[in-house]
Amino acid sequence: MNSILKTKKIIKHFDGVKAVDGLSVEIEKGKITGLIGPNGSGKTTLMNLLTGMFPFDGGFVAVDGVSGIKKIRSYDIPAFGITRTFQDVRLFEQMTVLDNILVVLTERNIVSALFERHKKIHHEKAKEVLERVGLWEKKNELAINLSYGQRKLLEIARALAMNSEIYFFDEPFAGLFPEMVKLVSGIIKELRTHGKTVVLIEHDMGLIRELCDYVFVMESGKLLAEGEPEKVLKNKDVIEAYLGE
Amino acid sequence: MEIFIQLILNSLIAGSIYALIALGFNLIFGVVKFFDLGYGAMIVIGAYATFYFTKIIGLNIFLAAALGVLSAGVVGLLVNRFVYQNLRKKKASNMVLLIASLGVFTVLQAVTAILFSSQFKTLSQSVTANVYNIFGGIVTQTQIVIFICAVVIMIALTVMLNKTKFGKAVKAIGDDEEVAKIVGINTNKIIAGVFFIGSAIAGLAGILIGFDTGIEPTMGLKLILKGVIASIIGGIGNVYGGVLGALFLGFVENFGIWKLSGEWKDAIAFVVLILFLLFRPRGIFKK
Repeated sequence: MNSILKTKKIIKHFDGVKAVDGLSVEIEKGKITGLIGPNGSGKTTLMNLLTGMFPFDGGFVAVDGVSGIKKIRSYDIPAFGITRTFQDVRLFEQMTVLDNILVVLTERNIVSALFERHKKIHHEKAKEVLERVGLWEKKNELAINLSYGQRKLLEIARALAMNSEIYFFDEPFAGLFPEMVKLVSGIIKELRTHGKTVVLIEHDMGLIRELCDYVFVMESGKLLAEGEPEKVLKNKDVIEAYLGE
Repeated sequence: MEIFIQLILNSLIAGSIYALIALGFNLIFGVVKFFDLGYGAMIVIGAYATFYFTKIIGLNIFLAAALGVLSAGVVGLLVNRFVYQNLRKKKASNMVLLIASLGVFTVLQAVTAILFSSQFKTLSQSVTANVYNIFGGIVTQTQIVIFICAVVIMIALTVMLNKTKFGKAVKAIGDDEEVAKIVGINTNKIIAGVFFIGSAIAGLAGILIGFDTGIEPTMGLKLILKGVIASIIGGIGNVYGGVLGALFLGFVENFGIWKLSGEWKDAIAFVVLILFLLFRPRGIFKK
């Protein structure tokens, strides 16, 4: 397997509760990997650990050839080629739709950034991703004024603007209208076509079947099953733990 | 009528001073979300650094003022780097940061008093100031410079926040610092830049006040309190609201003492603060 991301016995405890309990998974490059399991099984915690939102208490991570990583800090994430969206959308609320995209295209040199305006190339990239999610017309609206679905789409557009190698999507379809679901699933498939890696947390098994090449099933912070969606979703333990709810 | 004109002019000058203080204070509050009382010390440092460079070293007044602004900016940068940044790294609460900033303020004020004594000093070169008559009201050259500086700094900050990459990063951090980090914004560097700029503005305010009325090591507390009141009136963290709040405060204070003794000025300011906290706690401009 040509893996881009591995965890080795990764652990996270919250006040004695094992949210992620010695989990080892391997994510294949250029594929869509589903992360499923009942509520509270540790899916989002795992995503948070891998994107530096929380430090992990034990274990290692390997990202794109860099192995033995014991600590991931949130500001390391872009350097690892990782980007993400959140279960509860997190935007820069007081900024316009366009600025929400332009800000991730900001160069890192603080002195030049003090005086520099965004160049044509940045505006073109922002236009490209906003048109992809159908929000170009809303470019001058404040993010806080968008509808729930539009906010989800803007968050996805921001992730696309990052031009990363690994995309973590935490329930990107939740609360979306059918046409928006179609749009987002199209974007995710497109990312795979371009050789990008997608890790997807999703509760809709139809979408998991449609999109995912491989699935990990979590329960109580541990790995319950893994494999191709069709096989995994027929697994008796999985049905009992998750689908049978 | 002349008194009325004079009160308007006095209100504009006081409002401009408070606006300068509120501009830097709100810029910093916007990204760190705590009341940085240490900011008051930067007003003092700007003023005393200028005093040192011009009265003791003997530098040209403009060069001394520039070095004063720079000194305040650098001290603000260092305080952020060695105190606040380390506390933020340890996930210190805003209350802890507030107490730390009070400590910073007290230490820097004490050091200033030790180095320069607690006596009142003046930055101006001559006893008589150039004065101008505007519709029967009197303003000094320094007061005109204060007004111009407040307008120029406000315009410069507006352009910086809305048009530059740095400004967008500042706004992003103000909205959600954690996400700002995840999308690749170097939040520590941007916050450092904000502290430098904000503290430099505080230093400039201290220098201008020094030319207008004089300096003393305790000047920072009163001024930071006025800056905080102006910020709360305008909507805390809102750079433009702070300017409006500052002008409002300047007018209320000066017109409030029309028929009262000048000693009531501070009491009026705090009554206005309490009224806003009671009836419009999010200020004129709700963010």
